[in-house]
Amino acid sequence: MLEVKDATIAVGGQILATGLSFMARDRQLTCITGPEGSGKTTLLRTLMGFLPVSSGYVSVDGELLTVKSSQAFRRMMAYLPQQIQMLRHQLEPPEAPVCEADDFGLWNPLPPKGIVASQPAPLPPDDIFRLAEQTLQEASDKQIIIADEPAARLTPELAERMLQLLRNQVDAGKTVLVASRRPVLVDHADLVIEMNQNTY
Amino acid sequence: MVLHIFLALLLLLIPAGALFVFDRSLLQNLGIAVGRMAFQLLALCLIVWALVKYDNIWLSLLWLLLLSVVSGVLALRRMKLPMVKFLLPVSAGLLVSALVVGAYLLWACLPAEKGFGARWFVPVMALLVGQTLTTLIRGLSTYQSSLKADEQQYEFLRGNGTNHLQAVLPFVRRALQQVFAPTAANLSVMGVYAMPLLLCGIFIGGVTPINAFIVTLMLIAGCLAASVIALAVTLWLADRQLFDKYGKLK
Repeated sequence: MLEVKDATIAVGGQILATGLSFMARDRQLTCITGPEGSGKTTLLRTLMGFLPVSSGYVSVDGELLTVKSSQAFRRMMAYLPQQIQMLRHQLEPPEAPVCEADDFGLWNPLPPKGIVASQPAPLPPDDIFRLAEQTLQEASDKQIIIADEPAARLTPELAERMLQLLRNQVDAGKTVLVASRRPVLVDHADLVIEMNQNTY
Repeated sequence: MVLHIFLALLLLLIPAGALFVFDRSLLQNLGIAVGRMAFQLLALCLIVWALVKYDNIWLSLLWLLLLSVVSGVLALRRMKLPMVKFLLPVSAGLLVSALVVGAYLLWACLPAEKGFGARWFVPVMALLVGQTLTTLIRGLSTYQSSLKADEQQYEFLRGNGTNHLQAVLPFVRRALQQVFAPTAANLSVMGVYAMPLLLCGIFIGGVTPINAFIVTLMLIAGCLAASVIALAVTLWLADRQLFDKYGKLK
């Protein structure tokens, strides 16, 4: 169980929510929803201990979660990020480059210029789903599932399968927290937290 | 000696003559380049001459420290990374790797008559720093830019419970790939398509071919080891410059 009590969520000096309180229970799908920029992702990052709460607290099974203690809590968590389509290298680790011997190597050439790595090509919907499925399978021993817009880049059919995947986690007794604006997820959540109210 | 130098420089008349006939504008460029090269090499050799003449361990170490800092500046210019943040990690990486591997080579492997004598210390350390500089540029720039380009993977791994060290391992792997793929390509042609200048230098020094082969092999092994140590030290020291206190990429 994950509890948020009287929390103020802020990022870069901008307050996104004050007095936020809710409990995400085991065997429950909790959905955080709200318009773009309302702080859904920031809230999830705070619940994972990547950011501190400005006031109030976050606890997991009664234990206080802080930025310092968060590493231990994250071992209990599985995370599907908002930009999951950019995780191509998680599915396919990059190969070593094919190189040829340098021209004019005999003349002790200047040191090379720095290498600028480019962003990987986004994953297609099928691969996004495959990665999500794989991540949740590997997290069978983890109690808390956090998914940020898990259906955002999926086809309607795959979004339904994603919902089913998350419901399976709920049925397995886990605490499932989702940030989403997609009705397919909001309508099927056991608890919905609206992030457009500023105070709670 | 002066006559010999004059006779050797007479050879330059051949390219100069060819350029005089075919492209006179390039003739001036070549002249300036040869002049600069001669001046720079003379300055370098005077420094080495002084180091060998005084043969003082502290002087040699001071020279190595300066060489590491200057090489660090050069590396950061090539990578276009900020000096203030990265000069210490890069220079320390070069210095530590050269000292560790160089000391091992000088004391345990190479036939140096006295371990830290300048006659061996200077060329061995210069070779290690020079080679490590090249690999460090490739390694650090790959690490830093792939973390920026692929920050989501780092966040994903952290969010799934791995610690910071485990989360940066895929990026360390990419850096090592970029270091060792070209190294392997260049090593594989050595002696067939390319004659290493190092080997030529050892031959000119009067060493027998078999001994020259052994010394070259030892020095190449040292360069490979120093590349890994330099990258490890640099990445470790650069960590605070790359990540904030919450473990987020700056």
